[in-house]
Amino acid sequence: MPPGNVHSIARMTNLATIAPVESDGGPAAPLLELRGISKTFPGVRALDNVSFPIWAGEIHMLCGENGAGKSSLMKVLCGAYVADEGELFNHGEKIEIKSTLDARKFGIAVIFQEFSLVPYLSVAQNIYLGREFQGKIPGTIDRQKIRSEARRVLAMIGSDIDIDAQVHSLGVAQQQIVEIAKALSQNARILVMDEPTSALSDTETEHLFGMMRRLKANGVAIVYISHRMAEVFLLGDRITILRDGKMVATVLPHETSPGDLVQKMVGRKVDAIHRRGANMKAGEVALDVRGLSAPSGIADINLQVRAGEIVGLCGLVGSGRTEVARAIFGADRITGGDVTFFGKKFTGGPDKATQMGVALIPESRKAQGLALIRSVGDNIVLAALDKLFPSRVFHPSKARHTAETMIKKLRISTPSPRRTVQVLSGGNQQKVVIGKWLTADARLFIFDEPTRGIDVGAKAEIFALMYDLVENGAAVLMISSELSEIVNVCDRAYVMREGRVAGELPRDRLTEENILQLGMHHE
Amino acid sequence: MSQAEAVAPKFKITLSRDVIDVAYRLLAVALICIVLSLVSDAFLTTNNLLNVLRQASLVFFMASGLTLVILTGKIDLSIGATVGLSACVAATIIKSTGSPWIGGLAAICIGALVGLGNGLMVTKLRIPSFIATYGMLWVAQGATYYYMSGQSVYGFPPGFRALGSGYLLGIPIPIYLMVVFMLLGNFFTKRTTYGQQIYAIGANSVAGRLSGIPVNSRLNLVFILSGAMAGLASLIYLARLNSAEGDIGETLTLPTIAAVVIGGTSLFGGVGSLFGTFIGGLILTLILNGMNLLSLNANWQPLVTGLIVLLAVWLDMKTRSKTDSN
Amino acid sequence: MSERVLAQGFSALGRIPGVAFVLVALFAIFASMSPGFSTAPNLSNILVQSAILLLLALPMTFIIMTEGLDLSIGAVLTLASVVLASVAVSTGSLPLAFVAALAIGLAFGLLNGWIIAWLDIPPFVATLGTLGIAQGLCLVLTDGQSIVGMPPALHYIYSGYLLGIPFPLVIAAVAYVAMHGILYHTRLGTYVPALGGNREALRHAGVNDRLVLAVIYGIGGLMAGVAGLLLTSRMSAAHPTAAIGMEFDAIAAVAVGGTQFERGEGWLFGTLLGVITIGVLRNGLNLLEMPSSVQVVCVGLLVIVALFLDGMRKVQE
Repeated sequence: MPPGNVHSIARMTNLATIAPVESDGGPAAPLLELRGISKTFPGVRALDNVSFPIWAGEIHMLCGENGAGKSSLMKVLCGAYVADEGELFNHGEKIEIKSTLDARKFGIAVIFQEFSLVPYLSVAQNIYLGREFQGKIPGTIDRQKIRSEARRVLAMIGSDIDIDAQVHSLGVAQQQIVEIAKALSQNARILVMDEPTSALSDTETEHLFGMMRRLKANGVAIVYISHRMAEVFLLGDRITILRDGKMVATVLPHETSPGDLVQKMVGRKVDAIHRRGANMKAGEVALDVRGLSAPSGIADINLQVRAGEIVGLCGLVGSGRTEVARAIFGADRITGGDVTFFGKKFTGGPDKATQMGVALIPESRKAQGLALIRSVGDNIVLAALDKLFPSRVFHPSKARHTAETMIKKLRISTPSPRRTVQVLSGGNQQKVVIGKWLTADARLFIFDEPTRGIDVGAKAEIFALMYDLVENGAAVLMISSELSEIVNVCDRAYVMREGRVAGELPRDRLTEENILQLGMHHE
Repeated sequence: MSQAEAVAPKFKITLSRDVIDVAYRLLAVALICIVLSLVSDAFLTTNNLLNVLRQASLVFFMASGLTLVILTGKIDLSIGATVGLSACVAATIIKSTGSPWIGGLAAICIGALVGLGNGLMVTKLRIPSFIATYGMLWVAQGATYYYMSGQSVYGFPPGFRALGSGYLLGIPIPIYLMVVFMLLGNFFTKRTTYGQQIYAIGANSVAGRLSGIPVNSRLNLVFILSGAMAGLASLIYLARLNSAEGDIGETLTLPTIAAVVIGGTSLFGGVGSLFGTFIGGLILTLILNGMNLLSLNANWQPLVTGLIVLLAVWLDMKTRSKTDSN
Repeated sequence: MSERVLAQGFSALGRIPGVAFVLVALFAIFASMSPGFSTAPNLSNILVQSAILLLLALPMTFIIMTEGLDLSIGAVLTLASVVLASVAVSTGSLPLAFVAALAIGLAFGLLNGWIIAWLDIPPFVATLGTLGIAQGLCLVLTDGQSIVGMPPALHYIYSGYLLGIPFPLVIAAVAYVAMHGILYHTRLGTYVPALGGNREALRHAGVNDRLVLAVIYGIGGLMAGVAGLLLTSRMSAAHPTAAIGMEFDAIAAVAVGGTQFERGEGWLFGTLLGVITIGVLRNGLNLLEMPSSVQVVCVGLLVIVALFLDGMRKVQE
């Protein structure tokens, strides 16, 4: 049953009352059907025997936590990944999608978060990029036809964007519409959209939903990934829930409820991570953030971390967690608020933060945490150079010795500190990053997705390290999309939603359901 | 797992990439020398060899500062023009005051100032380094021509001239200076925290910044050093040529970049060494020397240098992509 | 959101009069300082002399829009001039000489394109290398001497008139129209900003982005050949060091005209204004008897100011 709160969208679109469209008369085959689709990466089974049908003229909701397999599924659909097992059927006939070209041939178009638009070309030019119409003089293009066709496609989805406007001048919402138009102009029959409303205002959202209604009427199928319960129940004709790469269920909206959905998204087997013992007394306030706002999209952030605590920072992808971490560390500009480390006010950049004993272990360790072509030893001493060598004279032997000590302490698997970091496994690379900050005597650690891309064994080691840190008086702020980690490891957690702190969950209320509830847009 | 691996390394000698690169290049030097000695009788004479070394040292002075810039992943196209500007200003000052010291100081200061200008354009105005230094090249060049107004300055005090043309124990003085600067430069890059940070910035400036390195400060530093070294190099040029004209620096940029690239310093940053630059300069000088000995028209030199630069960059990219994909 | 479009419009507006404003300002300054500046013959002189630069700046606009650079274009121009002169002197046939000049220009342009598009060597290094090669060839072919003794007909290309308009201007106008046509009316032209703005998008659309890039550099070389024609005609001789540094003026004209070095934003008409601006600058300084070295510094300062204003705009965004 749709939520009781009145919302302009509910008043406007009435999409939920439309019964699933099936081809005229008789048992028809779905537009696209997945059977047993599986995809494995080293150490991780991204998709495990996923099967569900996509019917023409339906909006099919795809729900699941971060890491449930939604993006892997999207990539299989658009041909960026090829499934290891399983089959795809188009109107009952078996098909193969081995490349993005294949996907396009079958009319599948995915609208990713990062658009494939050229900033200084017009909307019309972008829509027909690579498929320009020939002009009268051989070698030229028919600009008028490109413009008129672009206008037609946009009209079809009810948009009045200026086709001559250059894409860089459009807002995110409009760029999204251009992407959709681009897909439709290639006769897409299945549109896959990933959290399309996350960057839109209410009015823009209404526009989008109107557009989707038109597409439905034209028989286009839409696979729509969303966490927003309101949308799921308003728009969805069918809902598929993914969890840990497996398909949990495909249900009709009237067969379920938001609470039921959340349960299905979350309920899992007991995890190997032991719940941490209740925390002893927490020490001084290591991190104090008040009213922090930044152009990166966060506003009025208040949070505190004490020495000896592991505090979680969770929320959906795009809720602003990394932005908060970067703002705290001085890596991004801020427009308001205060950050205090160990009682001392902090202004400046990452170099200042490092001096004050703060560490940031970034989300993408290869791109932001490590100098891949440098050695393990070089990376380990990188943040501590001034501390280790106050005279600025560098002694390779001391550096090597320090690195070897850290390698031993953290049990980093490498034959020598002179190995390049590039060849280490993900878990060991992460240890190098942590080792870098331990060498720098950091006392406040900000972890951004510490166990991403790391196998189970290494994960346990990383957490053991974290426990060690806080037992010795350090403070930890941990961002993670793995709710079980947050629940088992953290003493308490802040939940972010759309750039703000939606709430704080003390230990006795720290459950996965509560986190999801706070983090999702529900009205 | 860990125990077996603890035993294995004792039987494996892993050489760092730097050492391997230099070894290859030393081999190249040896090969070129062998070929040249076979092709021309004049090659293996003491006179010629010392000449080659002296020429290589001149290239090295300019290329050393440039190496620092390229190590951070940036480029300095203005280096030739900076040498020209510093040389001309120093020349007139030495002539007018009679003191090589003041002239020398002026040369280094001017070079450093040009470098600072480059650094600020890159760090504060966020202009890509190849555009910023290219613009600076022309500004410096123009300033040099204007300053000299078509005149040339010549005739410096003999003490100063010894810097470029003098001998000590039968070996040209620039070679001693080169050794000194190579040791100093090596110390700076391998034995100071600044050097470590410079390599890190070249390897991954984002990670460097997030590890607490003051990236902008270091970038300004390398540009200033590059300019200052150019100023220093100009002095030795002056001493050698015993004259200064407006077009001094014009043809220097390409060979300087060639020396750095041939020496194994990657244009993408993070890889390379000053010793490598010296070898690179040596290789280039040997090839040009060989061309001279074979009485090939000097007009071929820019062409050959251009080809060598392209070849060296291409080779560097090929070997780089091999290791990256590992 | 419409607020943002308005703001973007204002900043774009703020850019357009930028170069025009500079042009007008320079005009006013020089007109007031030199009586001979605003005379018809002098102004016509500026336009005619700018023709050669325009031929270089137009393809340079494309190249910069692809986030690239061609440092060799001046040297290729000189080489084309030398080749033209040599062929003209030895065979006496001007048409053959023209074809040779264009051919060598195109060859070097495509060489640049190949090195940059397929060998993936950064443009500034690649064209620095080909600059050396072109310069070297010039020196070798001429042995440092100028080539004289052209067939007299050559002279008319530069000093001739077509319907009362100086021929160089006609050629420049044709080139401008052609480049404009390419940029706005062909697929190639549509892909130029794409190469600079989002090369991935172009690849996903199934376009051979490398080929397009190579062709763009090829056009640059070809235009350098045409420019070489004009230059040789103007001097009735070929000097091996004739056009050294002209690539700087070309890059400066493009930068001053508003084309960005990143993201594929470009403006062909801006380049035209930029070329005229630089022509005015140099001419004005000439009349004030400033040596060419000072002129070069001024052009450099002009570029730095233009890029500085750019930087301010970027910081604001």
